[in-house]
Amino acid sequence: MESSDEQLCRAVAEREPGAFDLLVERYQERAYRIAWSVLRDREEARDCSQEAFLRLHESAGSFAGQSKFSTWFYRILVNCCLDQQRRRRGWRRLVGWRDRRDDAPDEPDPVEQAPAPFVDPVEGLDTERRMSRVWALVDELSPQQRAAVTLSCREGLATKEIAAVLGLSEATVRVHLHRALSTLRRRIGDET
Amino acid sequence: MTEMHVDERLIDHVRGELEPAERDRVDTHLAACAQCRATRERFARLMAELARTAPAPPPIHWGAYRAELRERLERRGARGGTRWGWLARPAPALVAAALVAVLVMAGLPGGLGAPGTPDPLALDNTILASRLDMLARLDVVQQLDLLEDFNVIGELDELPEPRKG
Repeated sequence: MESSDEQLCRAVAEREPGAFDLLVERYQERAYRIAWSVLRDREEARDCSQEAFLRLHESAGSFAGQSKFSTWFYRILVNCCLDQQRRRRGWRRLVGWRDRRDDAPDEPDPVEQAPAPFVDPVEGLDTERRMSRVWALVDELSPQQRAAVTLSCREGLATKEIAAVLGLSEATVRVHLHRALSTLRRRIGDET
Repeated sequence: MTEMHVDERLIDHVRGELEPAERDRVDTHLAACAQCRATRERFARLMAELARTAPAPPPIHWGAYRAELRERLERRGARGGTRWGWLARPAPALVAAALVAVLVMAGLPGGLGAPGTPDPLALDNTILASRLDMLARLDVVQQLDLLEDFNVIGELDELPEPRKG
């Protein structure tokens, strides 16, 4: 009989050979997909999802089994992604980048002035084709609203699970979702 | 009648997450309120579109992904976990070793200057010795140096002119 995720996690904690690899195989695609949904960068998503697996390996013994394994793991993963976003913002601040929406609208953004990194045009075209207009609007939401929409509408998590993953109350998740979907509805309405 | 609308509950209604009593209350309202029915319909359409059109991430090679993960795991295991992992990074380890060496020399009799001679280093070392706890956060301390450099660069025009001769 196939082991459950929770059993595998306990086996990882006891350093049973093969248990970690099995969990990675089960979750690698979801982990990478969620990380990419939050970060929108292939290399960062790859790095953060791997970092989440490394943290899982280190802290498998602290999984108490009070929540589902997936909820516990997604929380590790989303924290990695939000940390990465904070580092990205911190670095931009350090080199003098300022958010155009907040101040100095006329000053050129030095990050935008720098030569663009190489992007495979075929991959870029595919990505653009895959992105629907509504998901392009999701990218403009706040990180927590975007995470709530992704976990809800894409990963199919219940409000209770999203609350556990994001470390928020269920009421706050409802507010995030309501505001996010209302904003999307309004913007779609504005564009048509 | 606006206060009777159930906008706030409509997303949970679409997601099937309402308790039975609450669901009945919303159903009753929806049966009588065309405006809320239309709003619910728009939310349902939007959520269905989001689920249907979610963009797929760029493809990656899963074999290479797992090999890289395995390598990172082994590297991390080789340096004995994360708590003291920063010691395995060459730059912080060298800086830490140099700092400790300076502190030890300052503490030895005859180290760093003859007795009775006022030594400007002694004061620095005393201050450093009082903040040994900062060694534990050496990575942060190094970042502070970097930030200080940025401050200096930002105020270059305010520096006094160099004296001629």
